[in-house]
Order: sequence, then C-alpha cells, then structure tokens
Amino acid sequence: MVEIDKSLFGNEFLEMAFDHCIKCSTCKYSYKEFEPCCPSGEKFLFESYWASGRIRTIIGLINGDLEWTEDVLNPIFACTTCGACMDSCNAPHADYIVDMIEALRELAVKHIGPAKNQQFLVSRCEESCNPYGEPNSDNQELKKIYNLSDKAEWVYFIGCTSNYRQQKIRDSTLKFLKKANIDFTLIDEHCCTSPMIRTGQLSIVKDYMNYNAKQIVNTEAKKIITSCAGCYRTLKKDLSRFIGEQEFEIYHIAELIKELLDKKKIKFKSEYNKTVTYHDPCHLGRHMGIYELPREIYKKIPGLNLVEMKRNRNFAWCCGAGGGVKIGFPEWSIEISHERLKEAKEINANVISSTCPFCKTNLNDANINFGFNFEILDLTEIIDQIEIEFLE
Amino acid sequence: MTENEPHMPDFVVIPESVDQLVLLIKFCNQNLIPIVPYSTGNNVGGLTIPDCGGIIVDFGKKMNRIINVDENMMYAVLEPGVTFGQLNKFLTKKYPHLRYSYPNAPPYAGVVGNALLSGMTNLGAKIGSMADSINGLEVITSDGDVTRIGSCFYGKGEAEADSWWSRYPMPDLLGLFINFQGMTGLVTKCSVQLWPKEPIEKAQLVLFFGLTDVAPFLREIGKADIINDIAAFSVEVAKMEIGIPEPKRYPGEPPYTAVMPMSAKTEKQMEAKLEILENIIDDLNKKGTNIHLINYNEFSKLFNLKARNIYDLPSQILSLHEYSGLTWFGAYAPSHKFEELIEKTDELYYKHDVPPYNYIKIMKGGHYGIFRPIFRFKKFTDQERIVKLLEEIVDVCIDLGCIPYKTPSWITAKMRKKINPGWLKLFEKIKNCMDPNNIFNPGRWNT
Repeated sequence: MVEIDKSLFGNEFLEMAFDHCIKCSTCKYSYKEFEPCCPSGEKFLFESYWASGRIRTIIGLINGDLEWTEDVLNPIFACTTCGACMDSCNAPHADYIVDMIEALRELAVKHIGPAKNQQFLVSRCEESCNPYGEPNSDNQELKKIYNLSDKAEWVYFIGCTSNYRQQKIRDSTLKFLKKANIDFTLIDEHCCTSPMIRTGQLSIVKDYMNYNAKQIVNTEAKKIITSCAGCYRTLKKDLSRFIGEQEFEIYHIAELIKELLDKKKIKFKSEYNKTVTYHDPCHLGRHMGIYELPREIYKKIPGLNLVEMKRNRNFAWCCGAGGGVKIGFPEWSIEISHERLKEAKEINANVISSTCPFCKTNLNDANINFGFNFEILDLTEIIDQIEIEFLE
Repeated sequence: MTENEPHMPDFVVIPESVDQLVLLIKFCNQNLIPIVPYSTGNNVGGLTIPDCGGIIVDFGKKMNRIINVDENMMYAVLEPGVTFGQLNKFLTKKYPHLRYSYPNAPPYAGVVGNALLSGMTNLGAKIGSMADSINGLEVITSDGDVTRIGSCFYGKGEAEADSWWSRYPMPDLLGLFINFQGMTGLVTKCSVQLWPKEPIEKAQLVLFFGLTDVAPFLREIGKADIINDIAAFSVEVAKMEIGIPEPKRYPGEPPYTAVMPMSAKTEKQMEAKLEILENIIDDLNKKGTNIHLINYNEFSKLFNLKARNIYDLPSQILSLHEYSGLTWFGAYAPSHKFEELIEKTDELYYKHDVPPYNYIKIMKGGHYGIFRPIFRFKKFTDQERIVKLLEEIVDVCIDLGCIPYKTPSWITAKMRKKINPGWLKLFEKIKNCMDPNNIFNPGRWNT
C-alpha cells in the first residue's frame, strides 16, 4: 500500500483518494439537474481541473506517476473549493472532496509552494495579522463608539473582509446587535485563518486560532457571532480540528436574526420594495448546510420580492472568490461572478444579496467590471435600511 | 478505474468544428500520428486510452451541441460530446412528449459513443441496442473527406436539417463505423431516433427463487412485447443497489431479481400489460419455477435514492461508485444459454470468493440477450484477484457463444482465436482500406 506523509494534517483524506472515485463525472454537474456546477472545470476544460481529476492527481503525485513541477500548480490551486462537486457526487467520499483538495494543497505547498500571490496571505498576516496587509485594528475604537464592555455574553467576530474591505457589513451588524440589545463585545482579532486553510498554508493556523480562542475566553463569552460565511465555516468546522473543542458556540448573524424573528423579539416594520435574489455563499450553504434560514428572513421583509436564480441552494454557482482564487487568479475570479450576475439578470433581480462579505466583494467587482447595475448588498445591509421594531 | 493499463496521450485536442478536424486528420495521416476519439471517458473497456500515444480528440468540451430535433420523424442530430443528462434535460424542457433511451450508466456518458458501440438502453426489450436506432452519421475519413451517411446523403453542401430520418434503404455504410471503436474514421454528427414518452409509467420487481428461473422468464417476457426493458441481476447486485455493504446471498433468498420499467398510453393498456405479465409468471410457475411479482414503485419507497436510481434513468449508478475500481464483461448472449451462463459463472464467483455480480437482459422482442458480469473493487488492493476471475469468466462466456461489446483489446485477442479466418480477413481488409496508416485508435481489436 502507498505511503502517505503522516505529518500532513489531512493525510487521511489523501488516503481516501486511493479507494474511491471511478471518474464517473457526476461531480461535474448538479445532480439530476444536469447543470455544470464546477467553475474550475468549466473554465479550464481538462479533467485535472474537476474534482475527479484532482483525486487522480493525488494518486499520481503520491505514487510517483506525476512529478512535482509547476505543471501541476494550476490544477491544484485553480479551484474555489466551493464544494459543488460534493453535492453532485453521491459516492461515499463525496463529503470529503474539499478536504481532499485542501490536503493536496498542503502537500503541494511543501513541494512547489502555493499558487502565484497566495503566499501573501501568510506574509501579510505575519506583518499585520490580516491577509489584506492593513494595519491591525484591535477594535478598541469600535468598542468605544458602540460602548462595549470587555466582558459579555457574545463576541462579534468581525472577520478581516468586513473589518478592512466591507465595513458597511460590519457597521450594519454592529448597529443591529446594539439595537437588538445583545450583550456583546469585540476582541483584538487575528485572521480566522480560512484563507490559509483553503490554500494549504497551515504554518500560522494553530497559533492564530489559539490566539483568537484566548481572546474570546478573556471576554467570558460563550457565544460567538460572525457576519462572514468564511469565518463561520472556519470557527465552527475547522477550529476544533486544529486546536480541539472549545467551550463557545458559533453563530452566523443570520441565525441570530432568524431566532429573534421566531421568538417575536424583532419585527420588520417598513417596506423594502425591491426584487432581491439570494446568492448562497458556499461556506454557509454547501459547507455548512444553511440554505433556507436566510431565505426565511428575506421573505419576512415587507415588500421584498425574493426570486431565485437558475442555480440555487446546494447547486448555486460559486461567486468565484473562495479557495484563494481571488488573490491567485483575479481575472478568472470575476469571470465566475460574471456568470452569477448573468443568472440574476435572467430573473430581473434589482438586488443581489448574500450573507458573506467575500461574496459581496467579488460580485461587486464583477458588477463594475462587466457593466451591470445591480445593487450588491449583504443581508445585514438590507436590514439596516428598514425600520425594525425591537420588542422585549 | 478499470484493469486496462493507462497510457498518456502526447496531446489533447479540443475541437470546435468539423473544419478543424479535417485539417487535424490530414496532418495526422501525413505524419502517422494516432488519433483517439473521446467524449467523456467513461468507457469501462478503456477504449479511449491512447495505447500508442498520439492525440486524444476530446469532443466533450466544445463539440457537444444538440443540433436539431425533428418532432415529426422523432430524431435528434447530435455532436459527439452530447451527454445523456444533457439530452434528457433538453428534451424534458423543449419536447416533453419525446424521450431518448438511456443506459444504466452515469448521466455524463456520451450518447453518440454509446450508440456507435451498441450500448444498452432502457428501451432495450423493445428496440434493441442504441446502434439499432441510429439514422445517420457525418464522418471524416482518413483522407480528410467529410461524408454523410443515411437519408442525409442527398445534396452537395450541408445536410438539410430535416433529412436525417432514415438509415435505409441504400447500402448500409453505417456498418463501417458502428462497433469499430473509432478505427475507421471520426464521427462528427449522429442522428438518433427518439420515442414518444408515454404518460403512464410503472416499474415491476420480480423475484426468482430458483437459480436459473430467471432464464425462461427472460425469454418469455422478451416475446411478450409488454416491457420497455428488464434489468435482471443476482441478489447480491440487488443488495448492492440499495446500499447494503459487502452483499451476500443467504439461504432462502431469491438468487435473482429483475426490475422492469413499463409504460403505456392509458391505464387500461397498463392493466392489460400487467395481466399478460401475471399470466406469464403463472404459466412458468405451473412448469416448476418459483417466481414472484412485486410493484417496484411501492417497494422502492422502503429504500433510498439508490433504489429509485435503478430505473429512473439517466441516473447515477450509486452502488458502483463505492470503490476505485470498476470492470465488466459485457456481452451479447444467446438467450438459450442463459442457464449455463448463470450456473458456470456462479461456480467461478464462489471459487474466487467474490459475490456473483451478474446483470442480464433480453433485447429487441427476445431476439437476443445480454449477459454482463460486473465487478467493483478496490483498485489498489483487489485488482489482481478480480482480473483473474474476470479472465476465467470471459473464457467461459466466449465458449458459450457470447459476443462482447465495447471490448478491450485483451478480450478481442481471446476472441480472435475463436473467430473464423474469413471474418478476420475481411475485417483487416476493411480496416486497411479505411485507415491505411492505422492512425485511428490503433491497438483496438489488436490492430
């Protein structure tokens, strides 16, 4: 039997490649809908750019049939890890395809490095604790503005994209939490490490996770809320894999909003008379199984006309930003979003809304680049525009 | 995934047009470069493996257009890259009253490749294999000439869109390309017959409690003209299909089962078909068989997606996905030898401690049968053992007159020892005439 490098974090997923996948191509198209689902394969067209080809690449590289050269760099890294292949494939290994790709990336980083520019995700973090290379915000200023104490029941984990690129999402979330009378605080965050895990660069992951966990423990909070689908996936799914189980629960802001609606603690009062389509973020949808919950919130907003794009829920077309593609393959990244915008145009939506700042960034970039006129708004931004009655 | 040795091509070409392919073929013919046609690469016989290197022509990515559907004469003209899922989706949306016939293969297998290789269909009991329902082809031969075959052969320019309606009555040149595994030219368009989609659809399950009870049933049901298709399989396969890991046969269990999709224009017609079916079973049981009929639509509700996928084609063959290896011996079979085939292969399975994974069909009103042992296995640990069993099964089946289809070259080598010299000589003459430089998929049929 083949020898797998046991020092690799995801070595069990590499082993899985050897006993599964007959290359039936089911991973390439949405199940029973027969719609193309993989941005990578559809762009590059060679087998090695689809999930089945990547599984074959694992076998080839470990067996020595393939060599570690730059030729394998793009097939390994030109993937948003959106997980559409996981929902299309129905084989026993289906749920682990992204884990297999991430394990392959970890191996690739050891042999030939990450894809072009992806190394900056780590080097910028090493300088300023976020992958954008912005001066680190310890969030003390925000704590003062929103009058937040050091100890609280909840921690709002802002995430790097909301804190350094999509501040409107951050501010809408902060305002909502404050108005809803949630007892929360902020911490001096390091990156959640999602970009590093997704690109196989694990050198700082444990340290950063331990740092964030320690900051959270210091607040005595037992609940963490985030407005970022990427942070949510990482905190809820990856954190325990790397540093063990923690004593706090992880929520996405949409979950809290839904809970408050269900408990009749908030009520949407004013109308939002626009046609909105919801873009499922991969990290909230396929990675975490949350599809209906955000839709139920949109449906409760008076006047809002929610329409669905052709590919939705678990077969939603990825925005193109994830898996290191935004930094590694920037032009292709917005081409992927372009596909999504065309779907939104087909159904005459005015607003494309999501629950992830990274999706918002990429959809917005494509919106500008390809001359569309959509409003690209996060759920929290829409909620910020309407009058809400907060009840006891 | 199969036992066939992998080989790398020197190049992969993703063509967009016939004109590009004409240039490519002329170039390859001048420079003696092998060309291997490829649509989706799902073939279990490894027929798209470039044994001699050269160029893989990947039709699946850009030459995958559904060119025309003629509602009146019920056919579709397709490029080679069209998949079953794609065609199904297209027909469901645009022509819901029409259907194609789908194989027990992944939805992303290519329609044209399967038709050219006489693949199975879920209308097989009525219409036979997919090759039986090809109306016409457009092909490029080794000198770069583009030829249209079938009723589309009139005219000097492009074929008229409504001219692809019949294969006959001119000399049947389609035979130069069907089952030749891409050895005589590149097919660039194919007209396939469509069928009316009948409004009433049901599936029936039959259990056979004697080891060979399935054989006379297949022969009788084939002649009865009441089913669309039948997939008879050993109980181990049935268990595998509904997700039971490492399935085994236990005493008292029916060794064989069969699922039969049926359709009708009215409920009354369906009732009449069911009455005929019950009569066939009663008659056979009076002669000593032990056969039971069950409503499969109700039965499958007890199980999961896997059970429904058996007849709801095109669909994933979920149970075959579980390991990394898959192979088979798919053969046209003389139906009067079904009993012997079942008994002799059963012995071999048990000798090698492998559950019997047989899959049997009756085709085209009972005119011939299909006998298909299938093996899924862990490629990196079990392949040697499975291949040994497969080789023994191949020998037994060929000795009993089975004729493999989509045949890998290691099996054609065995067949050549049994085929009469006259046939082989004619085959070689045709191959040499059509492809004097042996550029088209060299190595197939041991060329």
